[in-house]
Amino acid sequence: AVASWNSHFLSFPFYFFFYVPRSPISSLHFPVSLSLSLGLIDLVHKASNQMVGGGVIQQILRRKLHSQSVAAPVLLWLSSKKAHVDAGASGVRAFALLGAGVTGLLSFSTVASADEAEHGLACPDYPWPHDGILSSYDHASIRRGHQVYQQVCASCHSMSLISYRDLVGVAYTEEEAKAMAAEIEVVDGPNDEGEMFTRPGKLSDRLPQPYANESAARFANGGAYPPDLSLITKARHNGQNYVFALLTGYRDPPAGISIREGLHYNPYFPGGAIAMPKMLNDEAVEYEDGVPATEAQMGKDVVSFLSWAAEPEMEERKLMGFKWIFLLSLALLQAAYYRRLKWSVLKSRKLVLDVVN
Amino acid sequence: MFHPTIWCDSDDYRADVEVVDPKKCLEESCKPKCVKPLLEYQACVKRVQGDESGHKHCTGQYFDYWQCVDKCVGPKLFAELK
Repeated sequence: AVASWNSHFLSFPFYFFFYVPRSPISSLHFPVSLSLSLGLIDLVHKASNQMVGGGVIQQILRRKLHSQSVAAPVLLWLSSKKAHVDAGASGVRAFALLGAGVTGLLSFSTVASADEAEHGLACPDYPWPHDGILSSYDHASIRRGHQVYQQVCASCHSMSLISYRDLVGVAYTEEEAKAMAAEIEVVDGPNDEGEMFTRPGKLSDRLPQPYANESAARFANGGAYPPDLSLITKARHNGQNYVFALLTGYRDPPAGISIREGLHYNPYFPGGAIAMPKMLNDEAVEYEDGVPATEAQMGKDVVSFLSWAAEPEMEERKLMGFKWIFLLSLALLQAAYYRRLKWSVLKSRKLVLDVVN
Repeated sequence: MFHPTIWCDSDDYRADVEVVDPKKCLEESCKPKCVKPLLEYQACVKRVQGDESGHKHCTGQYFDYWQCVDKCVGPKLFAELK
C-alpha cells in the first residue's frame, strides 16, 4: 500500500517535501519530527490574537509582505515543510501531513491578506460615455485628454504607436495637427551626402519619445520604466477604470505601511508602491474650451484619450457589429424557416408497420 | 438621521472662488455611508499605534473603507464632469 501511494502522481509535491527513507534507522527521527510538527501546530494556535492573522508563520508572511515579495506563500510552504523532512516510518507521515494541512489552512487566510496589497485595491466601474453598444467617443474629451498628455505625461511616457495624422478628424483639424507636428524636430536621412539631418515634423511622424531607449528612461526615473501609453488601457486588466483610479487615487498610506524614499503610495497599484508621483493636480492645465481642469476632469479626459489611442477602431467596430448582428439574425430566421420547410416532408411522414402473424 | 446634502457640481458657489475637485467632494459626501468600515479602520489605527514590532498594518481595513467609498462615488462622479 505504501509503494502504490508513493507512486501516485498527485503525491509528487508531498514526495518532494516528504522524502521517506525506507531504512529502519530512520525510525529514530520519529520522536523528533513528531514533536516538531505538533509544536508547529501548537505555536500557530497559541500565537493567534486580534492581529490581522496572528501567529509566527503569519509574522514571517508579513515580513515578506513588507519587502513586497511574491514568493512569500512558496517560502512559507518550504519553511513549514522543512521540519517534516526525514520523517521516519509511514505512521509519521500522517502526522506530518496533518501538520502541513493545518499550517496550509491557517496560512490561507494570510495569503488572502497578503494578496490584498499585492493585487491592489479593486477599481470601481465608472460610467464612461463611450460604454454603450452604439456609443461613440466624446471627441471633445479626447482633444482635452491629448492636451493633458502633451503637457503632463509626455515628459516621461512615450506613445510611439500614434502618429500626428491619426489625430486628424478625431481631435484636431488637419491644419492644427500639421502645426503641432511642425513644432517638433525629427531626425531624418541620410541625405545625398550620406549624413543624417533634422527637420520639422510632418503628419506622418510618430509622437515624439521623451527618452532615446528604455535604459535612458530607467536611468532618469530611478530604475523604473514609464511604460509606453499607446495600448495601456488594453494592457491592464479593466484598463480604463484602472488608469483613472490610479491617476486620481493617490492617498496617504494606511497605518503601519511606510513607503521608501523615491516611491509613492497608491492603493490601486499592485504592491502599493509606485514610482510615479501624483501628476494630476487641480488646474495643472488650462483647457482651451474653458472647462475647469480639476483632477477628476483631467483624469477622465486623459483616459478618454488613452482609450481612443488603444482602440481607435472602436466606433467603426460598434457600427459594424450592430449592422452584422442584425443582418445575421435575419439570416438565422430565414435559415430556420427554410430548414423547417425542407424537413417538413420527412417530419410529417407516416410509417405503417405490417405485423406478420 | 439627517445628512446634509453636499453638492459637488461645478455650479457650486465655491467654484467662483476656487476650483473644487468633484471626486474629493463626493468622497467626503460618501463618508457617512461608509461609517462602519471607517470606524473599523480607526480602531485598527489605534491598535497599530501601540505596536512596537513594525509588522502590524491596516491595509485590510483601509481597503474595505475605500472600496465602500469607491462604490458610492463611482456612479455619481461622471455626472459632475464635462
